[in-house]
Amino acid sequence: MRDHKTIICRCEEVSLEDLVRTAESYRCSSRELKLRTRAGMGQCGGRTCRALVDSITQKCTNDSTPHDIPLGYQAPIRPITFSIMGEKKDE
Amino acid sequence: MIDVIIVGAGPAGLSAANVCAKNGLKVKVVDEFMKAGGRLLGQLHEEPDGTWWNGIEEAKKLSEDAQELNVAVECGVSVHNIKQEKSYWKVYTTKGDFKTRALLLATGAAETSLPIPGWTLPGVMSIGAAQVMTNVHRVRVGERGVVIGINILSAAITRELQLAGIEVSSMYLPGKNIVTEDAAKPLSTMKSMLKVASLAPSKLIRLGSYFMKYESLQSLAVRFYPKNGMKVWGMPVHLRKAVLEIVGDKKVEGVKVAQVDVNGEPILSTEKFVPADFVCIAGGLYPLVELAAISGCPFQYIAELGGHVPVHNENMKTPIDGLYVAGNITGIESAKVAMKQGAVAGYSISMDLLKTDVNIEDQLQQAINHVKQTRNQATIQFHPDIHSGREKIHASFKNTLRTDI
Repeated sequence: MRDHKTIICRCEEVSLEDLVRTAESYRCSSRELKLRTRAGMGQCGGRTCRALVDSITQKCTNDSTPHDIPLGYQAPIRPITFSIMGEKKDE
Repeated sequence: MIDVIIVGAGPAGLSAANVCAKNGLKVKVVDEFMKAGGRLLGQLHEEPDGTWWNGIEEAKKLSEDAQELNVAVECGVSVHNIKQEKSYWKVYTTKGDFKTRALLLATGAAETSLPIPGWTLPGVMSIGAAQVMTNVHRVRVGERGVVIGINILSAAITRELQLAGIEVSSMYLPGKNIVTEDAAKPLSTMKSMLKVASLAPSKLIRLGSYFMKYESLQSLAVRFYPKNGMKVWGMPVHLRKAVLEIVGDKKVEGVKVAQVDVNGEPILSTEKFVPADFVCIAGGLYPLVELAAISGCPFQYIAELGGHVPVHNENMKTPIDGLYVAGNITGIESAKVAMKQGAVAGYSISMDLLKTDVNIEDQLQQAINHVKQTRNQATIQFHPDIHSGREKIHASFKNTLRTDI
């Protein structure tokens, strides 16, 4: 029998079931949901699941979508090598 | 120091670049993809007047103009950070860091997914990925597929797959869960399709036009929607069937489909296996705003525009000095609107950097009018209330400035 779980965060393999259970028991923000489950904390930086995590939070807490972006973005916004990040340049 | 850096070589970015370059500014455009054109590269559809919109040709025209105007277009380059310094922006890319007086974000949109069991199997892709593979890379995505998610975008792209000789056996709703539920309801799906139907270039419309006008007829139409779907371009569109699961061992082998009631809830013991070797998921588009978010620009959530969008005005200026936006980052609309918005941004930047030329001000005003005209004439409206969305975001720009003072 194969696993019937619905994956939401592919990088960290967090399922819809895990996220809904966590969101319902803690009634928490997207950020807390992320920190509790690691959804969105994998190598893609949440590029696939960010919107899904936000929508789970909103539906479980019945809040309307805030104008501020619920899960903040940080640079680098693309996966880059350490050499690109640490490069020294004279300008 | 560069005068203008534009992130995104799509319809908005290239149009803006060409306007800036015509006004004598030194312009650099960067794009993550290996080819310039953005979403234009995928587009091919018939207009209501019988002419064809060929996005690849449109992209070629814009690129050729850019080349003639000495715009530096660099593909395969990602911007991973931007920082505002005293009088310029610093743009960090995977191929070096640059200083620029003005920065235009024309990063476009990304696709929303519809997670259902099995959606991570190889052979499952977003509908946009199938479009790019087909129209840009000329790679056959599979022999026989199904599309999950019924909306204007998936209908248009499914048609493109068909034109390329790829068989799509059916379009279905997604199985209902907490994250797919908005796309899983037969009635709201039908309504959103019908709203665009009167304008859209296809037969979808003809089937819709029977019941369009009356709410009660819409519910009736959904209630008595034919079990075998309605054929659009010879392919059944199922508003009363949903894919509950994508099935396969190491890759897609098919989908488990069930009939659903008018609320999208599956009806027991109607499950059927439909073989397929690829599955396209079509959840719609949302503005891609990562760079705007790290710039410190304020945001508004506006459903009519497709999600969170950076605050900006009709001139495509954000409240942040030297930061401009154009195209789908400002809200989901057609490529034609994006091109006109790009021109507005181009004039706006030229006016701010060159300061003296009165002539540009008139051209800017004209360009703003062109955006409105193009919007009014658009064949495909991604959201029926796009006008009210635009008003909201422009009003929020005024409010932002007011609270700053």
